[in-house]
Amino acid sequence: MRDVMFISFEGKAMQRHEHSGIRGWFSPFPLLPSLFPARPFPVRSTLAGLLLCIATSAFAAPDAQTILAASDAVRNPDKPFGLTTTLLEYRNGKQTDSTTLAVYSRAAPDSGQFRSLLRFLAPARDADKLMLKNGNDLWFYDPASKGTVRISPQQRLLGQAANGDVVTVNLAGDYNATLAGEEDITDGDRQPRHAWKLDLKARAPDVTYHRIEMWIDTANNRPVKSRFYAESGSLLKTAYYRRYQSQLGVARPTETVIIDGLDPNWVTVMRFSDYAWRDVPEAWLQRDYLPRFRPQ
Amino acid sequence: MTRHPLWLLAALAPLAVAAPQDDDAALQLADDAPTVATAQRDWAAFAELALGDSQARSGDDPSGDARLSLDARLDRALALGWRLVLADRLDMRWLGGLDEQRSVNTLKEAYLGWQPAPEWLLDLGRINTRYGAGTGFNPTDFFKVGALRSVSSVEPSSLRENRLGVVMGRGQWLWRGGSLTAIYAPKLDNAPSDDPFSLDLGASNPRDRGLLVLGHAFSDAFNPQLLLYREAGEDLQAGLNWSALLGDATVAYLEWAGGRAPSLAGRAAGEDDRAFRAAFVTGVTWTAPSKLSLTLEYQRDNAAADAAQWKALQNGRPDAYWRYRALAGQRQALTTRESAMLYARWQDALVQRLDFSGFVRHDLVDASNATWLEARWRGEQADLALQWQYSAGDALSNHGGLPLRQRWQALVAHYF
Repeated sequence: MRDVMFISFEGKAMQRHEHSGIRGWFSPFPLLPSLFPARPFPVRSTLAGLLLCIATSAFAAPDAQTILAASDAVRNPDKPFGLTTTLLEYRNGKQTDSTTLAVYSRAAPDSGQFRSLLRFLAPARDADKLMLKNGNDLWFYDPASKGTVRISPQQRLLGQAANGDVVTVNLAGDYNATLAGEEDITDGDRQPRHAWKLDLKARAPDVTYHRIEMWIDTANNRPVKSRFYAESGSLLKTAYYRRYQSQLGVARPTETVIIDGLDPNWVTVMRFSDYAWRDVPEAWLQRDYLPRFRPQ
Repeated sequence: MTRHPLWLLAALAPLAVAAPQDDDAALQLADDAPTVATAQRDWAAFAELALGDSQARSGDDPSGDARLSLDARLDRALALGWRLVLADRLDMRWLGGLDEQRSVNTLKEAYLGWQPAPEWLLDLGRINTRYGAGTGFNPTDFFKVGALRSVSSVEPSSLRENRLGVVMGRGQWLWRGGSLTAIYAPKLDNAPSDDPFSLDLGASNPRDRGLLVLGHAFSDAFNPQLLLYREAGEDLQAGLNWSALLGDATVAYLEWAGGRAPSLAGRAAGEDDRAFRAAFVTGVTWTAPSKLSLTLEYQRDNAAADAAQWKALQNGRPDAYWRYRALAGQRQALTTRESAMLYARWQDALVQRLDFSGFVRHDLVDASNATWLEARWRGEQADLALQWQYSAGDALSNHGGLPLRQRWQALVAHYF
């Protein structure tokens, strides 16, 4: 069993055993095993057993926020990194658009939230255009006009790039999670999974998705499926995280299938490839660097 | 408990099971999706063929015209920390027939960049550097003066893209959330050139100029950019750019520049009426979920003619009037004191890949209007567009005084 380091939503390092699930994240009462050693209790076995059951059920109950942070860590590496995102858009079963982006990401030291530079690789008309995303602080740069302009989150949603940064969002930083139960569901690869169902509510009102339902595999904290809702309660997107492969030392989803909530015939397939550790200096993640950015 | 009629439950039943079926269909699409390989390139190029037809205000319509433009950009890493940037555009125009041809080449950029450390950047050569938060008017875009060599569209982004860079040395120091940029552009020639393949250093570098730009993000909402600009024979000019997010769908912005300077009429007449004058533009951009973006902008330039001065110019000698207008165009300044602009862009309008965009400029001094509309279809490698431009107003008004009343242009662009 291999130990893997992760950065939590608070930016603190935590350790877990890769295959032990959420129960391996921490023990709220580290002395509990010594109080109840693993040997028979011939005299007080009934009382001890009862206490053990109470303790186990009380303290092994998973913490939803911790599950969410663990799931974030499955999607997002803990050091500055880069990847290529390919977005294929389908309408009524036919491919209508495709966009390829190079993404460079780095987590903020204080909030743990990712800041990302997105560079368009394709289509050719959009090549080398850049978007800087730092929460709702969004800047767009066009190398032809040399202009760097601030854009609103709603403007970001105009293009497929709206989905391009979904991969580098630490949900635990922006949402309060509660455990809504456990469910047996079918994942994006049509495999049965036993999953925590989390209900995520946005901490701040200025987020695009005010509520998220998320299913996370109880065995390994892998995100399986999410549903994103608007403030009105209407379903905006459904996402399946699938095709898990080892990337930068951890099994991560290399494909996300996004289904539009209002028009289920509008499907976007996002593929993530070319994961690599990248040096993304803090000073580069600002408006005034966009005209100077050059990929490494 | 509310009782639902059976017919309603029966009607809703298919909806309840629809989602999993949709999900399965979507996953099947993803299973069958092709593998797309995109190589990172250090160049981009496109060719654009346009056919135009214009109507003159005088009734003496010019014959149709055609344009073929070749535009290319290279951004190549030479060695660790070094880069070479080249950008050029060639416009070939035919007026009336094939025998009446004229070409204009615009060397937009040609410079070497060196980044000795992640926080330090140095560039030397012809660079198109642009500042300004405004959409249709940029008072802090100090290097726009004389930069237009060949105009292929009055659309603001086209005017920014197709222009000469300035030969300069540029240094930038970065820190977390901010940067300081220093630019020095020397005088290299005296006057603009009409030679089709001239570097046109007289247009890009007619005098010594310097610019300092300081930017820092104190918070997401407060990230001003401050500018100090000086050119030989002129007083120091200050500038400010600031934009902020208002909710989820609205961006507000302000761009301001000011300092002691002659009025535009004074410059045109060769008179030194130097005084403190400011120009500013402020606006909001709102985006609807339907992919429609609207920008409403107010533009003001205290160096431009006010109502009385404009009236005097209109009623004065024609050569003084046209000299004033030519100077306003050369400086990309406002012709009259204040103006308003509505800019709209509707992406995927009616059908996917079809975009509508357009603007109306309304002169608040003489109530003339300029309108530009475009329908553009975006293909995989090519664009098809139809553009319409119309100017309306009284004779000798800002927009009504232009020689052309209306212009159509159809174009096809191919991206390599």
